[in-house]
Amino acid sequence: MARQARAEDESAFAEIVRRYSPRVFSVAHRFFRQRSLVEDAAQEVFLKAFSQLESYEGRGSMEGWLTRIATNTCLNILRASKRRPELTSGDLTEDQNRWLDEQLSSTASELHRSAEHKMVAADLAERLLGTLSPEDRLALTLIDGEDATVSEVAEITGWSESKVKVRAFRARKKAREAMEKLLGAGRRRLGLDSSGAH
Amino acid sequence: MREMHIIEILEKGPLASLTESEVGAINSHAETCTECRQAYEAAQISALLIRERATETMEPSPFFQTRVLAAWREQQAGDNVPAFWRLWKTAGALFASMAVTTAALAVFSFVAPGSETPDAGVAVSPYSEEAVVLGQNQGDDQLDYEQVLSAIYADDEVK
Repeated sequence: MARQARAEDESAFAEIVRRYSPRVFSVAHRFFRQRSLVEDAAQEVFLKAFSQLESYEGRGSMEGWLTRIATNTCLNILRASKRRPELTSGDLTEDQNRWLDEQLSSTASELHRSAEHKMVAADLAERLLGTLSPEDRLALTLIDGEDATVSEVAEITGWSESKVKVRAFRARKKAREAMEKLLGAGRRRLGLDSSGAH
Repeated sequence: MREMHIIEILEKGPLASLTESEVGAINSHAETCTECRQAYEAAQISALLIRERATETMEPSPFFQTRVLAAWREQQAGDNVPAFWRLWKTAGALFASMAVTTAALAVFSFVAPGSETPDAGVAVSPYSEEAVVLGQNQGDDQLDYEQVLSAIYADDEVK
């Protein structure tokens, strides 16, 4: 199929897009939540892949090859945007603050994991991940979010295993510190003392 | 257990990978150390959020393939146009604005009315504004500085 696509066969290219769109979308979705941004990134991935088809020598799967292109493309897009604002309690919506307050008040339970709560949590996660560098965000998402191993992340990204560990360590630290600040503001809002009591 | 050791345990790997003994050590330490308890709480919530975010999925819309193919065709068409023609098309607006600017400058330079010159036959006082501007107050009858002062003081004495 790659050979046919190299010969600029539109139908072959269309088949590549059809077959691997879900995979490319799932990679792009690690970096972006808005559908328009995910689609823009995915489109750029396929156009880039087509222009680089000659570099695909058939070693490894096409899915793995496209995953690497998608990962690097999304990292480049995020690096170009350079927006990593510090997250404060004032930046959060009411729903997000309420979600955090529930965590502090220990009222959250499996019964509260409605679709709406999960969406609020995912929104809040996106805000939190947005404070990290693109590379740190990727390492944390893959290892802590998707249970990927260090060697799997190294293969996807082309980084050394040491670099993966350092990035994940740094990302966890930054995410925890950002969350501590938000929870501190939440405690003050709820009138809780440092032990969590009123 | 030292405070920093607790923090290091929290950050060395995903919380889900902590052993039972590590979790036990953290919990027992957190009972007596507020800072570590808050750090552990923050790490747990942060891990929960990241996991929630990772479980979200997004499927391509039915129109995505159409969109990509359209972009691909446009890119192919662009690659087939000679580079000079592409440059010409993009530079067209620049050339047009330069031509308009040049035409406007030419109109203002050659078509605008010229200024009037004074009639040579009109008598002009040597000390009038016109005389000064036209440089016509040079001559043998021009008073020097001392003569002007004398004239002024002579007027004062008469008064």
